[in-house]
Amino acid sequence: MFELGPIFRALLRQKVGAVLIALQIALTLSIMVNAIFMMQNRSTLMARPSGLDEANLFYLSNTVFAQNYPHQAALQDDLRLIRSIPGVLDATQINAIPLSGGGWSMSLQKKAGEGEDGTGVAVYMVDEHGINTLGVELIQGENFQNTDIRWRAASAVDWPERTIISQAMAEALFPGNWQSALGQTVYINNNEPMQITGIIKTLQAPWNGWDGVERSMLVPYQLEGRNSRYMIRTEPGRRDELMPIVEKALAESDKNRIIRGVQSLEQTRADSYRSHNALNRILLLVIVVLTLITAFGIVGLAMFSINRRKRQIGTRRALGATQLQVMRYFMLENLLITSLGVLIGVAAAIGLNIWLVSQFELKPLEPALLLTGVIALYLVGQLAVLYPARKAASIAPATATRSV
Amino acid sequence: MLKMKQLGKVFHTGEVSTHALREVDLQVNEGDFVSVTGPSGSGKTTFLNIAGLLEVATSGEFLLDGDNVNLLSDSKRSKMRNQKIGFIFQGFNLIPELNLFDNVDVPLRYRGFDAKERKRRIEQQLELVGLASRMKHLPSQLSGGQQQRVAIARALATSPRFLLADEPTGNLDSQMAQSVMALLEDINRQGTTIIMVTHDHGLAQRAKRQIFIKDGRVSELTAVEGLHSAGLERVTPLHAHTVTDAARQLGV
Repeated sequence: MFELGPIFRALLRQKVGAVLIALQIALTLSIMVNAIFMMQNRSTLMARPSGLDEANLFYLSNTVFAQNYPHQAALQDDLRLIRSIPGVLDATQINAIPLSGGGWSMSLQKKAGEGEDGTGVAVYMVDEHGINTLGVELIQGENFQNTDIRWRAASAVDWPERTIISQAMAEALFPGNWQSALGQTVYINNNEPMQITGIIKTLQAPWNGWDGVERSMLVPYQLEGRNSRYMIRTEPGRRDELMPIVEKALAESDKNRIIRGVQSLEQTRADSYRSHNALNRILLLVIVVLTLITAFGIVGLAMFSINRRKRQIGTRRALGATQLQVMRYFMLENLLITSLGVLIGVAAAIGLNIWLVSQFELKPLEPALLLTGVIALYLVGQLAVLYPARKAASIAPATATRSV
Repeated sequence: MLKMKQLGKVFHTGEVSTHALREVDLQVNEGDFVSVTGPSGSGKTTFLNIAGLLEVATSGEFLLDGDNVNLLSDSKRSKMRNQKIGFIFQGFNLIPELNLFDNVDVPLRYRGFDAKERKRRIEQQLELVGLASRMKHLPSQLSGGQQQRVAIARALATSPRFLLADEPTGNLDSQMAQSVMALLEDINRQGTTIIMVTHDHGLAQRAKRQIFIKDGRVSELTAVEGLHSAGLERVTPLHAHTVTDAARQLGV
C-alpha cells in the first residue's frame, strides 16, 4: 500500500531541503529542454543538404605571380590536365565555394527597373562542367553549352544571357509555381536580362547563416585573373588519394603560379558549422553538468535525510516494514519532490521558450520534447535516490532500540 | 507461544567476540506478563530484540507459534513482526513529522489494511489511550506520558499477540510511569502477552513473571505475587526454573 499521503504531509513539515531540490529540478528541466531545443535547431540547420557531392569534392586555389601570363590558355590547360588524371570525374573553375563563408551575391528581379523588388541570390560562375563537377541535380531545362561560356575580366560588370537557378530561387521568384521559372527572363543589375535555362534541385550559398541559403544561381562565366579556384570531383572514395596528386600535377605543370589551399568540401562544411558544433557541445555539457548536479543534490539530500532518520527507519522496520517498503518510501518521497520540480520546471521551460522564440525567431518548443525532459528528470531522480534508498533499507530494525 | 532453546547471541567486533546472550531456555505462554530486569549491558535489549525478531540469534532455536524464526527470510520476519508483535520503545520512537493519526497508521499500512479499516483501528486505539481528540496533533505537542500512550496505541493497532516493551516508563516521571503501567496491565488482562524490559524493580514486580539477565544468562525469579513480600528483590539471581525452586531457596 502506498504512503503518498503521509509522505507528502511529512515533507510539508520539513520542506526547505525538498523545495530547494525541487527548484533545482525545475531549473534543470527548463534549461535542459530549451538547450536540447536549441541543439535540435542547430542540428537541423547543419543537416540541410548542400546539394553537392560533398564526399568526393575538393578544391584548391591557383595564384599566378608571373607577368604577361596567358590566363585563358593556362586555365584551359589546367582543367584539361586535372580531368585527365585517373580517378578525377570532372573539374571546373568556380568563383566561390559553397558553405565557405565567402562568395558573390546579386539580386534578381522579374521586372527591369531600379525601383523593382529583387530577390537575393548567391552567384556561382562555372563552365559547362559545373553541374557535373558539383554533383548537383538538374531537374528542369538544360546545362550550359561550351558556346555559352564567356570570359569575365576582373573589372567586368556585364552578365551573360543565360542562367541556371536553384529550385528555392525559382520558388522565391515564382511562389507556388517554381516550375514556371524555366524559360522566364529575369533581370540582374536592375536592367540586364537573363533567361532561366535550367533549374537545379539544391545548391547552397556560401553563407550558412543566410536565410536564403538555398537560393543560388549558376552563370556561364570563366574568370580571367591572377587568382582562381578549381573545384574537382573524384570517383567515390578516391578524394583523399587524389588531393595531393592533383596539387602536385598542377604545381609541376607550370612554375609561374602557386597552388595552395587544397581542401575537401567536407572540411569546409565542418569549418562552416564549427561554431554551431561547438555551441551544441557546450549546451550538451551544460545539460550533463546540470543533470549531474541535480542528481548529486538528490543523493545528498536523501543521504542527509536518511542519516537524520536512522532511528525512524529502524522503527518502521520494527513495526513491520520490509526492506522493499523502506526503499519504496524514499523513492516515493523523491517522486513527490521531482513532481513539484517538474511542475515548476514545465512552466519555466515554456516561459523561457517563449522568450527564446521572440528573441531569436525560433520555432516553438514541441510538447514531445518537454515530455521527454520530464520523463528524463523523473528517471534521473529515481536513479539518484536508488542508492540512498538501498542504504536506508539496509538499516537494521534493531536500530529502533539502540542508541544511534 | 514463544519458546527459546539454548539460544545464544554473539557480537563480533574485529577480533573481539561479545557473548550478549548465553544458552537461554525460556518459554512465554499466551497471556503472560513477563518483566525483564538486569544491570546495564547485561543483554536485556538483545534479549528483547531477538524476542521481537529485530535481531537473529547466532545459536540455538527460537520458535514463535511453532515457526523457527532463525530460518525465516528478512521479509518474512518483517511480516511476522507486523502481524504478531507490537513494540513500545523507551524513547517512544514516534515519527516527529507525522501527526498522531499518521503515526498509529504506520504499521497498519504495512499490514495492508484498507483506508476504512485503518481509520477504524486508529480511532479505536487512540480512544483507548485517551487521545482521540488530539489525533491531528504532532508528537511534539504532547507530554512524554501522552507520547508513550500514542506509542502504545500504535503497538496495539495491529492487534498483536505479543507486546514487547523496552523500558516503557524509562523517560517518564513516576506518576506517568504508574499510569502507563496500569494501561499495560489492562492490556495484558485482555489477553495480550507482554514482555517488558525495565530497570524499575517496583514495576517489574507487578508482572506475572520476572526474568533477570546478567552476563547474558537468563534466570527466572518468581511467578507469584506472594514472593514479593518475601524479599525476592534482595536475592542473588538464581537459576530457578520453577516457582517451587525459587520458594525453596527463599525458605518460603
